[in-house]
Amino acid sequence: MGANLFTNYGEAVAIILFGIGFGNLLLQSNLIKKIIGLNIMDTAIYLFLAEKGYISGRVAPIIVDGVQDMEKYINPIPSGLVLTGIVVSVSVSALMLSITIRLYRRYQTLDLDEISLRLKKEGL
Amino acid sequence: MDFVQNFPAVSILICLFAGIISSGLRGRAARYINTVLILTVIFLSFCTLGYVLDTGEAYVYVMGKFPAPWGNEIRAGVLEAFMALFFSIIMLFSMWGGIKKLGDEVEDGKVFLYYVLNDLLLSSLLALVYTNDLFTAYVFVEINTIAACGLIMIRQNGRTIEAAARYMIMSLLGSGLLLMGICMLYDLTGHLLMSNIRGQVEILFASGNYRIPLLVTIALMSVGLAIKSALFPFHAWLPDAYGYSTVSSAAILSSLVSKGYIFLLIKIIYRVIGFDIFYNSRIINILFVFGLMGMIFGSLSAIKENDVRRMIAFSSVAQIGYIYMGIGMGTQAGMAASVFHVLSHAATKSLLFIAAIGLTDVSGGSRQFIELTGAAYRNKWAGVAFTVGSLSMVGVPLFSGFISKLLFAQAAVQNNVKMLPALIVLGISTVLNAIYFMKTVIRIYTPVEERSYEGVKFGDMKLYVVTLVGFIVLNIFLGVSSQPIVDLIGQGLAMFS
Amino acid sequence: MHYIILSIFFPVLFGVFLLVRKEMEHRKNLLIAVSIAFIISALLTILALCLSGNGMFTLFNLAGRLPVLFKIDEISIIFASMTLIIYICAGVYSFVYMKHEEKEKRYYGFYLIVLGILIALCFAGNLITFYFFYELLTISSVPLVMHNRSREAIMAGLKYLFYSLCGAYMVLFGLYFVERYGNTLTFSAGGVISASAAAEHGEILLVLAMLMLIGFGVKAGMFPMHAWLPTAHPVAPAPASAVLSAVIVKAGVLAIVRVIYYIYGVSFLRGTWVQTAFMVLSLTTVFMGSMLAYREPVLKKRLAYSTVSQLSYILFGLAVMDAGSVAGGLLHVLSHGFIKAALFLCAGAVIYMTGKTRVDQLKGIGKEMPFIMWCFTIASLGLIGIPPTGGFLSKWYLAEGALSSGICGFSWIGPVVLLISALLTAGYLLPVVIQGFFPGEDYDYGALQKKEPPLFMTIPVLILTVLSVLIGLFPEWLLNYLSQIIEKII
Repeated sequence: MGANLFTNYGEAVAIILFGIGFGNLLLQSNLIKKIIGLNIMDTAIYLFLAEKGYISGRVAPIIVDGVQDMEKYINPIPSGLVLTGIVVSVSVSALMLSITIRLYRRYQTLDLDEISLRLKKEGL
Repeated sequence: MDFVQNFPAVSILICLFAGIISSGLRGRAARYINTVLILTVIFLSFCTLGYVLDTGEAYVYVMGKFPAPWGNEIRAGVLEAFMALFFSIIMLFSMWGGIKKLGDEVEDGKVFLYYVLNDLLLSSLLALVYTNDLFTAYVFVEINTIAACGLIMIRQNGRTIEAAARYMIMSLLGSGLLLMGICMLYDLTGHLLMSNIRGQVEILFASGNYRIPLLVTIALMSVGLAIKSALFPFHAWLPDAYGYSTVSSAAILSSLVSKGYIFLLIKIIYRVIGFDIFYNSRIINILFVFGLMGMIFGSLSAIKENDVRRMIAFSSVAQIGYIYMGIGMGTQAGMAASVFHVLSHAATKSLLFIAAIGLTDVSGGSRQFIELTGAAYRNKWAGVAFTVGSLSMVGVPLFSGFISKLLFAQAAVQNNVKMLPALIVLGISTVLNAIYFMKTVIRIYTPVEERSYEGVKFGDMKLYVVTLVGFIVLNIFLGVSSQPIVDLIGQGLAMFS
Repeated sequence: MHYIILSIFFPVLFGVFLLVRKEMEHRKNLLIAVSIAFIISALLTILALCLSGNGMFTLFNLAGRLPVLFKIDEISIIFASMTLIIYICAGVYSFVYMKHEEKEKRYYGFYLIVLGILIALCFAGNLITFYFFYELLTISSVPLVMHNRSREAIMAGLKYLFYSLCGAYMVLFGLYFVERYGNTLTFSAGGVISASAAAEHGEILLVLAMLMLIGFGVKAGMFPMHAWLPTAHPVAPAPASAVLSAVIVKAGVLAIVRVIYYIYGVSFLRGTWVQTAFMVLSLTTVFMGSMLAYREPVLKKRLAYSTVSQLSYILFGLAVMDAGSVAGGLLHVLSHGFIKAALFLCAGAVIYMTGKTRVDQLKGIGKEMPFIMWCFTIASLGLIGIPPTGGFLSKWYLAEGALSSGICGFSWIGPVVLLISALLTAGYLLPVVIQGFFPGEDYDYGALQKKEPPLFMTIPVLILTVLSVLIGLFPEWLLNYLSQIIEKII
């Protein structure tokens, strides 16, 4: 078990980061910190993917110098997935940030719990 | 290749294009495009359904030019086509039912955005239903989330924005877990296409290697989707989001968005993990237990609620509990019952939301119970529709809810361990449902002495009434001629494996 | 076959038609329409009873190959004819009575819908169909209970709804298992539980049988789920109370007949703890109902408590599972139906003409309304069980059956409880009669007015009273018919 962890330290780090990000997104009450948590979480997943797709000693799957040998390149699919994932996470972060701005303009605070409390008092 | 085989892909793509085109149009034109779009999708799904029923087997449609292990695929079977058809019908009715309210609640300059989001939502739902590729599924899950968040926020007030924020946070947690699960599964099997993964998972499982990672993967994906579909105890965002957004949004969110995720979970169970392997993991018991808890606590919160929209929203929590209980039962019959309940709940819950808005509108816009007294006399159609929806939720014969309860119980009887808790909780929750729905029905039919609010006439709400009648017919159809539909579901589930 | 469908759907659709049409607000139109509906439904039902033979008719399939099917057997004929007679009598009676209530259109609409559903219950051929219409019966009869929309009526309606839904769920619980362990859900004389399932899962099947009996017992007002009945029946308008007390509760009895004799079968249940428990419950109810009725000052409520007690006579007869007692029970279904309908209609006539509801206000009522009170007297004697009325005969058979059944203890406890309860019945009904006809010294004869109600009210009461006596006078034909049924099911 311990040995596995050591050889796969990249994945282990990724999972730990994922946990940190997840915890932040779930537990923080400050919206900005939540968004940071979200980004840590997403990035951890990309790290995990990249780590899994990387084969040591090989290069990125871009054809240069006419080399066609499959053995020279790493697995390209995780890289593609990471790219797609980044696009998704950018748009989601943007949406979250815009919601945060709206809430801040209305309530002058970034604390989600406090906002809920104020809403209850308003009785809307 | 037959021409009809293109239809699923076409229906997804035209939704995306309609969304893009509508973003440059004004509200009226966007609305027109949206209606035509949904009607087209209904037609296309109907043709697809006819086609697969005719050929008797599912087919795979290659997107782009790369073949199986690398390329992207769509797969259409009986259940997929049927779900697409059903979802688009519900979508159409939900839009019609809320059109008037939409005009009142959304700024004029922003109405077109609502239709854009709606088109995108439909496309992502269709993609979730049809796709054969896990990563594509993830991407469309996110599109679905974003569109749904927009639907909540389109009516701007503090509550909806806060609800949207909470909804986004919960959804992002869910999709983070889902994505992690997909990545690990990719890591384990080396594939992203559902059918290929399934083959590899079976080999892995047979060899006995990587049991724990496989279990973790299953857990991550199930829990992720469960969070996204608001399974108890992840439902905190739900009452606000359903209760304060504009009525079409509430109907669409409760009956379609959460159901899309549940359908994806069912697909993952059958097409990715394999039913037997999923059954052997202990995740299923977790889903079962949380399902049962959702059934009880959702209903209890609904009883305490004093606001009719939020009450219906809490009842959604309970109904989603039913669905997960069926999935957790671990039998084919339980799964079929869950799928049927997806249909029946979709038809009933959107009916309730739309009927409730008719009732609150004739009560001065207030949603408190005390103001609703006698509302059914002021808006007769909404009163009848609400009664039908309530009876269906309580599980009275003739309506769809009865059939789903019957199916759940039949499934429960086949499982010796889970039989007793399932049946007892089913009983308790039936009684609780009866308490709060009947309370509301009696309330809206209690006459008031002084006529405090104006009633509405049929002439002012033709489209609304058409919608309600459509929903009622759908409900009774599901409740009376359930046998063909149950057969269809069975056939569709059989096609999954 | 078509007559079965027509006889069920005609009243239901006609009822819906009444509810939605505006012209029907006009009283004359409404009454003409309702009379026509009664005549046509009666004809259709009679045709269905005569022409259908023993065939089965499947309407459509519910989930999981569960057909909704209709079948007419002897039990259906008894219950359907009783339903029809009482229903039409009470319906004609309401032509006058309902004049002083509001929203007649709604009343008749639901009245007809309930008629259709009751007929469907009588004709139901399997348990799932029965359950289906049983639930619909609950839902559609709630508006009758809540007719006057007072707070009290609404609460009573809700109570009725919850008790019935709880009971129905208990039944549903059992239904799933019967579906699994039984050969079929179709009612067949002697039961459907296969021998192997009975041997293997005997205990759980017994538990479920008990659950189903208690669940259906809700509608028949059986202890421990009887509390809704005395609340719900009296708040309805008098003709509706008559129908509720005389016919709708019989749906519960019919259900129990079906469960004991057509689903589980006598051979499976006889001698088990279920039988014992069921007998104990029904005897408790008999005694308790009479006691409560004895102490109740409001006439309609007193009659409702009496219903609780009398229905359990029937249930006791069914629980003993002896040829004589079952005959007595089924006979009591008919006689109690006619008698209780007559009593409620009399109470309604008193309320209609004088507005008096409490027993102690009724001094001298026999002088004011002699005809109605004579009918009340004859019907009361029938309920107490004094020969030659139908009530005497049914109780005689009940007691005799219990004595000859030889069940340890119950063969004599049963008749004793029945006897005590009969005395209590006399105790709570006869004072009304005695005070009514012999108001005593201080009664002011000067203020006496004749207050006999109109013919539309007296004739239905008369018909029902005469029928209850006729059963006692000419029972041979009926007894022969009953013994044919009993031969099949025991």
